[in-house]
Parts: sequence; C-alpha cells; structure tokens
Amino acid sequence: MDKDLEKLSALYDGELSSKEMQESLAEMNADASLKETFHKFGLISALVQRHSEQKTPKVSFLKDYLSKINPLMSNFVTAAATVMITLIILYQFDEDRFQVDRDSSLQLSSALSSDQAKNQLLNADQNIMEHMIHIMQSNQSHNSQQVSKNWVPVGFSVNPNNPNQYSNGRNNLFFHLENKQLGIKKVKYFKANNNWIYLIPLQDGRLLTAYGDVPPSVADPMIQSIYQRK
Amino acid sequence: MGVSKGDEVLLNEIKAGNTMAFEAMVLKYQPKLMSSLTAYTKSPDQAEELCQKTFIRVWQKIDSFRGDSALFTWIYRIGINMAKNDFASSFSKSSKITDSLDQNEHDVPQYLSPETELIAMESENKIMEFIQTLDTETKTAFTLREIDGKTYDEIAQILQCPIGTVRSRIFRARALILEFMNQENILNG
Repeated sequence: MDKDLEKLSALYDGELSSKEMQESLAEMNADASLKETFHKFGLISALVQRHSEQKTPKVSFLKDYLSKINPLMSNFVTAAATVMITLIILYQFDEDRFQVDRDSSLQLSSALSSDQAKNQLLNADQNIMEHMIHIMQSNQSHNSQQVSKNWVPVGFSVNPNNPNQYSNGRNNLFFHLENKQLGIKKVKYFKANNNWIYLIPLQDGRLLTAYGDVPPSVADPMIQSIYQRK
Repeated sequence: MGVSKGDEVLLNEIKAGNTMAFEAMVLKYQPKLMSSLTAYTKSPDQAEELCQKTFIRVWQKIDSFRGDSALFTWIYRIGINMAKNDFASSFSKSSKITDSLDQNEHDVPQYLSPETELIAMESENKIMEFIQTLDTETKTAFTLREIDGKTYDEIAQILQCPIGTVRSRIFRARALILEFMNQENILNG
C-alpha cells in the first residue's frame, strides 16, 4: 500500500514515466481514497507554499551570497554543498523587555542552488551578512571586547588561551562584543552546518555575537539570562 | 519559466483527451487556486464558484496552452481574469463569462468542501510546526520539492543521493504530515 502511495506521490510531482502515469491514473480512478489522498497532497502543497509566501522568507545560502559580493570569499564554503544559513527571529525587543516572538520565527530550509533563496539573501541586510562572515572566518582571532562571565552558559568554562572562547567539553562557543548593533533590534540566529551564530543586541548599544556548535536549546536560556541580568 | 517536465507529461495526456489526467490536474491545483482566489475575492463561496469556472475554462482552452509559463501560472491567470470579469459583471449584469461557458462543460470534481479547503490558520501553524519536527533529510527533500519546485533529479544532485531515495523521502514527509493531520483531526471534521 505504501508503495502505491509513494507512486501516487511521484505522480503528484510529475515524476512518473508516461506509462507509469497512465497506470497510476487508472488506479486512482478506481479508488476514491487514492483520489482523496492525491487531493490532500495538493492541500499540503498549497498550505506550505502559502505559508512560505506569507512570511517574509529569510532562508539564505551563504555561498550564493559570497559569490555575488566576492567570488574568492565563497571558497571556504564551496565544499559544503548544502550549507544553509537559516535566519530565525527568536525574540522581539519591546521597550525594556525582550519577549519570545514565536510567531515571527521561520524555520524553512532550502537548497544552495535556489534562485529564490539567493534573492532572499541578497535582499537581506548586507552589513549583517558581512558581520557574520567576518565572525565565521575569524572566530579565534577577532578583536573583541571582553565579555561578562555572567553571560556564559552554565557548565561552560573559559579557554586559557582565548578569553572569549568557552567550552563545556562537548560544545564550543566564541563570543564577540563590539560597539555596533547593525540596526538589529531583535535577537537573531543563523545556522551554518553544525554551527550557530547568535546576534544579540544589548541595551547599552553593543552587539554580542555568539558563535559555535551550541544549539538554540542551550543558547535560549543563555540569551534569556543576558537580558535578565541587565 | 515554462511548463515543468512533470506537468508536461500530464498536459500531453490531457490534450490527448485523457479525462483522468485532467481530473488529476484539478485535484493537484484546486487547493492552490482556491487559496489564491479566496485571497483575491475574500469570499470562499465566490472563490469556489470561480474555481469551478476556471477549470472548465482550462479544459476548454487546454489546446491553446503553449507551455510558455508554468501550468499553474496559466491556470492562475485564467482564474484571476475570471475573478476580474466576475467583479465587473456584478455591476454590468453582463453574462459574458457564463455565456461562454455554457458549451462543452466538463465536470470539475469536488472532493472536499470549500470549508475544509481553507485550513484554519491555527491548524496551518500546527502543520508548519510539525514539518519542522521532521528529520532533516526528509524535511530538506520535501521543502526542496514544495518550496523550490526542484525536480527529483535536481534534489538528488543537491543532496547527493539516489532519485529513489528522494522519492521515498518526499513521500515519507507527505505521509507523516497526513498522519499528523489525521491525529489532529484536521480536515476530518
């Protein structure tokens, strides 16, 4: 039965040969439940595509962006054919509070070769992208102000050779702090392969960038505590 | 962008008079057209009526479709023109569209009511959240297909896996979403 439905799914996508398609159409014609399932595939498509269009898409691919602004810079991600950077707005800045803004979160994924994704990325704030690229390229050597120990997630300890690198033995996290906010009003995070970049605008006008293989589940309480300690 | 390879095969069957192929096309694009027309008219009832008329027109005009655009784009244009004419005729009392549709009508199948076509926003959000819980491989293949419109071959190249794997991952995503919709009683009411 699953094989029939898998074939129906391929029929829906127009991925059957003419002969297979005719067989599948005949099967569908003889079975109302197959017709209903086929139609539900259409509903799912409509829903996913409508949702994708409604939200301002923020799915972007670094390689396309880099090759556009500087072909040489794209080399460091060339091998990562499926490198994805997914921008997700997690928190909404509201006066003195940073609130969770789940409604505006967007978690779509796409492909490196997607024209749509490329355009979305090119429409994204170039300063933010360049900042992220800078952080990703130089996470161990950039000039950064010293970060507060209060911001470091529980269980992480400082690397004796780099005061802005912390580890819990399993995950590494680099901090970068500077006097600019790049117009960011909300905490944003990006994903690139197994690493995450968190851009955290502080209320004193500085921008804290955290970069490492620390997933949102770990970073979430860290970000909350940064604002609570302000 | 012209008609996709997948739609081209379907289209050839429809042009050859295969009514099952036409029915499959209606089943495939009706939800999307309903969604577009409802957004345009702000009236599900009107959208449903226009949807029916649009597919009748599509059946009548399918031979004139040259494949210069995606199939749905062409269907969508017909639907929006129908809506515009409908709007104009509601003032002029003109029966321009319906007159032209009296001949060669083809039954447009309707399997789900317009109410169920329009999945409530709350349910939509639930489904989108559920999609995010799918494993990365399944979700990526599914979104490459549904959002980026990639063919199985293109997805296989991007994900560096066999086409059969792409096919099964996309099906797996759909099957899990349908299962979730059943569990949540979405569309079952």
